[in-house]
Amino acid sequence: MGLTGLEIFKHLPKTNCKKCGFPTCLAFAMALANGKASLEACPDVSDAAKEALSSASAPPIRLVKVGAGDNVVEMGDETEIFRHDKKFNHPTAVAITVNDTDDVAAKLDTINDLNFERVGQQYTVEMVALVNASGDAAKLKAAVEAAAAKTDKNFVLISEDAAAIEGALPAVADRKPLIYAANKDNYEKMTEVAKGSGCALAVKADNLNELAELVDKIVALGYKDLVLDPGSRDTSKVIADMTQIRRQAVRKKFRTFGYPTIAFTNKDDEQEELLQATALLSKFTSVLVMKTVKKELLLPLLSWRSNLFTDPQKPVAVEPGLHAIGDASENSPVYCTTNFSLTYYLVEGEVDATRIPSYIISVDTGGISVLTGYADNKFTAEKIAKAIKDLGVEDKVKHRKIVIPGAVAVLKGKLEDESGWEVLVGPRESSGIQKFAKSQFA
Amino acid sequence: MAVEINKEKYRSQVREVVLGATSADGGTRTSTIKVGGEASLPFLQFEGAIPNRPVVAMEVWDIVPEDWPANLKSALGDVISDPAAWAKKCVEEYGADMIALRFKGADPDLGDKSAEDCIAVLKSVLSAVGVPLIVYGCGKADKDNTIMGPLAESAEGENLLLGVAEQDNYKSVASAAMAYKHSIIAQSPIDINIAKQLNILISEMSTPLLDRIVIDPTIAALGYGIEYSYSIMERARFGALSGDRMLAMPMIGNVGNEVWVKKEASVSVSEQPGWGDEAERSMAWEAATAAALLQAGMDILVMRHPRAVELVKKSIDDLMQDNSY
Amino acid sequence: MIMIGERINGMFRDIANAIREKDPGPVQEWARKQEAMGAGYLDLNVGPAVADRVSAMRWLVEVTQEVSKLPLCLDSTDYDAIEAGLEVCKNPAMINSVPAVQEKMDRVFALAAKYDAEVIGLAMSEEGIPKDAESRVALAMELVANCDAHGISIDKLYIDPLALPANVGQAHGPEVFETLRQIKLLSDPPPKTTVGLSNISQGTKNRELLNRNFAVMAMACGLDSAICDACDEELVAAIATGRILLNLDIYCDSYVDVFKSQNQ
Repeated sequence: MGLTGLEIFKHLPKTNCKKCGFPTCLAFAMALANGKASLEACPDVSDAAKEALSSASAPPIRLVKVGAGDNVVEMGDETEIFRHDKKFNHPTAVAITVNDTDDVAAKLDTINDLNFERVGQQYTVEMVALVNASGDAAKLKAAVEAAAAKTDKNFVLISEDAAAIEGALPAVADRKPLIYAANKDNYEKMTEVAKGSGCALAVKADNLNELAELVDKIVALGYKDLVLDPGSRDTSKVIADMTQIRRQAVRKKFRTFGYPTIAFTNKDDEQEELLQATALLSKFTSVLVMKTVKKELLLPLLSWRSNLFTDPQKPVAVEPGLHAIGDASENSPVYCTTNFSLTYYLVEGEVDATRIPSYIISVDTGGISVLTGYADNKFTAEKIAKAIKDLGVEDKVKHRKIVIPGAVAVLKGKLEDESGWEVLVGPRESSGIQKFAKSQFA
Repeated sequence: MAVEINKEKYRSQVREVVLGATSADGGTRTSTIKVGGEASLPFLQFEGAIPNRPVVAMEVWDIVPEDWPANLKSALGDVISDPAAWAKKCVEEYGADMIALRFKGADPDLGDKSAEDCIAVLKSVLSAVGVPLIVYGCGKADKDNTIMGPLAESAEGENLLLGVAEQDNYKSVASAAMAYKHSIIAQSPIDINIAKQLNILISEMSTPLLDRIVIDPTIAALGYGIEYSYSIMERARFGALSGDRMLAMPMIGNVGNEVWVKKEASVSVSEQPGWGDEAERSMAWEAATAAALLQAGMDILVMRHPRAVELVKKSIDDLMQDNSY
Repeated sequence: MIMIGERINGMFRDIANAIREKDPGPVQEWARKQEAMGAGYLDLNVGPAVADRVSAMRWLVEVTQEVSKLPLCLDSTDYDAIEAGLEVCKNPAMINSVPAVQEKMDRVFALAAKYDAEVIGLAMSEEGIPKDAESRVALAMELVANCDAHGISIDKLYIDPLALPANVGQAHGPEVFETLRQIKLLSDPPPKTTVGLSNISQGTKNRELLNRNFAVMAMACGLDSAICDACDEELVAAIATGRILLNLDIYCDSYVDVFKSQNQ
């Protein structure tokens, strides 16, 4: 992120002394903004100005890490407000709450089992939030030790008693947990603990103004691996605060808010918690601390996360292969399309709506669409023929007829030669599939 | 330190659309619904008014929805064999803001119900409930073109929300809406350019219809490409606020219709032990899909499961809390 | 790019007569016409019609506001006339214009702060219009710094790099495009930009062609607005197309009609 002429100009001495070789400080500032001069050319610029200028050119949101070794969760380093502009870099990390009054070992068994496989992807929760619910420092320490023995997941240590954190930390310090949280009363001690261990430190305040004040105080103590909690808990307020923090950092370059964020659900009903979590995850939360361990509720949330944090500029692929739609049998029609998810799901929906059990071959085009795949030699007669063979379609159906997208009708002859199958040219748009199926297969 | 709150200055706002008509306006509804009118991005009350809360319409079929997963059918109970009783239960017991009546039975493959038979069902539902209605055909354009006109005529003045106008088939629905004073769903296939063009085509037939259009951008279920719909909705809404009159309509999403045909809505826990209990999972899938779409600006959610509806309505209560600074 | 409709100007005979005879007809007709073509602002210039520019400007503002809600761009070198116009504007207006001359900037930015107005700043000084981009940008920077010093958000400043007629100032063309690019590096938010579009074709044979080609080339360099003939259908179509290609508007097949109808 380059600095603008005006930002630079404000830090220059404004003496127009010409020692830099430019006629005015303004001209020098413009040359710096254009990368055509270096700040060293000004003999009179103050150290404070140098520091301000160098920090102003840092990324708008700091990259902060939790965890160590291969097990690091990165957060922050975001540059966007809307996902359609450019990818959100780091998916929200989900942390599940364990109180130090719980049966820690049993709960950790449950959490360790929160792994999901869906559409060829693996989903999991990344963190365990250990809460000093007892208020007893010894209990937190015991819980942290018990949890550390049970899981490889990352930790959030939750207590506003700095001594409790300091006592519990050694058991997991090398795993670099997130410390939660510094507040206006304990921040000096908490900052010292975080600094000493090199762990990221959450900063909790009661509103945005107090948060800004507290962050500045901690930064003045020399620590910057921070995660922000504006203190709001009701859904609507959290969304407003998270939006402000993101916009202030990205649009206004407000350094004080240039850090990742943490949010907590506050619903007791687990189903209500799912909807609250869905909202918070959608709006700029870096770490989401929640309570439910129900697979049936976490799976939809993690599926949404996987969708939201895909790169909008990269096509999303579905698994290539043979998909049975309905109760497909040896007489069912066979369609083929690419494995670009949007194309595939549209085709799948329409084929399903024909109410005729069918097969769909999604050919591996690297996730690009029919016409792009054709143009790029990724959706060719050879590839379709090979897919028919490799997927064993000839063992699944008795007939030898395949439907290809109307947009690539040109592949018909070649595909018939390559595969020995009869090729039916389907409609150009998936919306025509129902009509087509009715005329061909009903 | 006082943080200077960042508020976007928008040029424009979403159009407000009124659905349903009471006797004062030539209909028989006991209440009407207003949607749209937002002057900010979703739920950011701190920078602009959100005069109308998003609403939930519950879906009712004219025939028994045999293919719906058992856990959905059992949640609704016996009423699914009687559209009027079903609609009444949705409104009185589940708090549906609207009823979305779908004439699946008009499908040539599912009974091929005549326009007259459809009208009889519509009348029974209109007299069973006082809330505004959404009316969908069977989804097959050829047949729908023969029933939507008569349905619209039979309910003249009720200000139904008629579905759906598409780019290559919008004239009959738009004409019916114009002639018999209804509103219209303009549906585009996950394509913002077509969404915009379709509104222009409709406005060329009748400029006043511009204030009676609800955009259906075509949504997907969680895990099935919903992010494309989400981004199109975010772009459309941002465009509307930035002054794009042709995208400044409220939006509707067929949540139930997408979710309940997906594997996650029916596969049993014994088949997929890693996915958890199917009854709760399927319901949660519908509720969470709706919750995600709310964050992109959805105004009308068409849903099926009573508990999912209850959860979404509660969530809307939370989101509508004033968050101005 | 936003069009600032240029047609209500005492340089045109019908407007001059209207001003002299206090006949709102022609003024209001052009206001409606330009608005219907998608103009974003209406420029008001008393021109050489009458000696009392102050009351003429006030009258122009009043009669234009009767028929149009568009923001007005008060165009005069007489700052008393501009202030008179600002006093009666119902909505925040735009001041057209101020050069990078200290005492003029002091007066105009103070006016802008008082009336919440936008300002067109000219990249010229007492010494006239600079030849190269670098000097134009330096003058733009002075305008930016003065605007900032008055506490006015810099996105309310429109820098005009000053385009000269193609038949006399051909060498200025590339310098103007380069200036438009560099102006966006001046501040964050950066100032906006504008040009007097018809100037580029002054005294040439094929005015419309020059105007619309300059417009789209300048848009590609970041031009945000132009004082132009909003009733030139082909210019309007070219600008609408430029906005689509720059991803400023969302595409649809009828995008030109949508651009024109934006004030409805």
